[in-house]
Amino acid sequence: MSIQRIVDRILVGVILLALWQLTSLWIGFYWVSSPLQVAQRMVAWLSDGTLFTESGYTIGSALIGFTLGAVPGAVIPFLLRRRPVLAAILDPYLVAGYATPKLALTPLLIVWFGIGIWSKVALVASISFFLIFFNTQAGVRGISPQLIRMAEILGARETKVARLVVWPAALPYILAGVRVSLPFSISGTAIAEMLSANHGLGYLIQASAVSFDPTGSFTAIITLTAILTIVNILVNRSERRIFNWRPAAAAFGRPKGALG
Amino acid sequence: MTPATSEPQTPLLAVRGLGKQFEARDGRKSESWVLRDLSMAVVDGEFVTLVGPSGAGKSTLLNMIAQVDTPSAGEIMLRGQTLATGEHNKLNPGWNRQIGYVTQDDNLLPWRTLIDNVLFPFEVYGGVDAAAREKAEALMNAVGLTGFEHYHPHELSGGMRKRAALIRTLVYDPPVILMDEPFGAVDAQTRLQLQNDLLSLWRLGRKTIVFVTHDIGEAIALGDRVLVLSRAPAKIIGEHPIKIPRPRKIEDVFSLPEFPTLYATIRAQVG
Repeated sequence: MSIQRIVDRILVGVILLALWQLTSLWIGFYWVSSPLQVAQRMVAWLSDGTLFTESGYTIGSALIGFTLGAVPGAVIPFLLRRRPVLAAILDPYLVAGYATPKLALTPLLIVWFGIGIWSKVALVASISFFLIFFNTQAGVRGISPQLIRMAEILGARETKVARLVVWPAALPYILAGVRVSLPFSISGTAIAEMLSANHGLGYLIQASAVSFDPTGSFTAIITLTAILTIVNILVNRSERRIFNWRPAAAAFGRPKGALG
Repeated sequence: MTPATSEPQTPLLAVRGLGKQFEARDGRKSESWVLRDLSMAVVDGEFVTLVGPSGAGKSTLLNMIAQVDTPSAGEIMLRGQTLATGEHNKLNPGWNRQIGYVTQDDNLLPWRTLIDNVLFPFEVYGGVDAAAREKAEALMNAVGLTGFEHYHPHELSGGMRKRAALIRTLVYDPPVILMDEPFGAVDAQTRLQLQNDLLSLWRLGRKTIVFVTHDIGEAIALGDRVLVLSRAPAKIIGEHPIKIPRPRKIEDVFSLPEFPTLYATIRAQVG
């Protein structure tokens, strides 16, 4: 990236922050807070540990829920691969489960699991299960039957076919599911925390807002944004590392071999 | 003609009265036979080439021998033991590594490097040991792939991928190897190179090979015997022993005095 580009980008950021500061002078800190106040609050909440504790609740619930949903979501399509009848029977229920707006379940989940982390865990598990399941299933179903046939002719039995052919072929799809559902798990947790909780970044946003403290809400929102950005970067990095075997995206037609 | 049933040696691979019928479906004629009453036999160490018009069911025949497709009639035998019949429908692809199959597509696993693709047959069955590695390296060297061990398939040319697919089958030594137009989609120069590679590899190992092609020149140049398939429903309508001495060089075969007559005879039969 050229230096000019970096300078331009910083300039846009500064202008946006200046506009925010001006707006708050104009309309009042009471409503929109201001960059300076948010920065002060950020320092205060970082030094007293508030942000670490509350982020810990949000990230913790999200990760537990994600794992509980993603693992079966990635495994079940493999089990269903050789059981087309069972897969066909379950299909409409899975599609319905996918279509259900999971956030709408939050009030019920809070009734069932309480306002602590477990209602958030349950919500996130239900979100990530279906996202990962359908992605993995697309990968498992999309695999070339010729590759499987080739492995069988070479003497591969069912478990070897699953481990050495189907799994690596489905992995890009599974990771595509992770890329969507992992950030969604975190934001989903935060939304559930806004509805009812006594911890977490979502709770902090909500609690600050209702006590007329927009500075607190903005501080928590910015923290949440930072966490999601980092998660996105990490997921993209690991994806690139895992798929170093793939041709760099070919712009036109079939990728031509380097020695082609 | 029903060739080779009276072969003096017990055939390694025998096909008797084989038939394949596809069920009627929308837009298709009712229950047409692609292949009917097809019989052939291949002795140990023989290189048999099969030519026929396109759509003659050549691939279907190989698929049934390789046990990835079920016959509707007849039987397939290996060393006198029945592998498949019209009634018996349980498939056992490759028949416990007795039958190798080199297909038109290279079917290399794109996430594996070349050497890992060549070692794949050991990884799925038995395990990769020092002997396996040594064998894989020797074969890669024989076809000029040394130095490309750690490349992924997409980084290599079509001809290199074909070679890799070929030695992936040779490396685990199946007694019978089926080849379905393995050098189809490459340019003429590469094709000639691949054909010569195949001949030199075959001279070392003397595998039993059933090689399907629609290229009559290729069939003559490679084979000990050329079998001609008819249009669907396919059966063997011609058998031509090729008396050209080995070792052969493909480009020399084409300039032999007997080549044009042989070519013309087979060409007339293929129709």
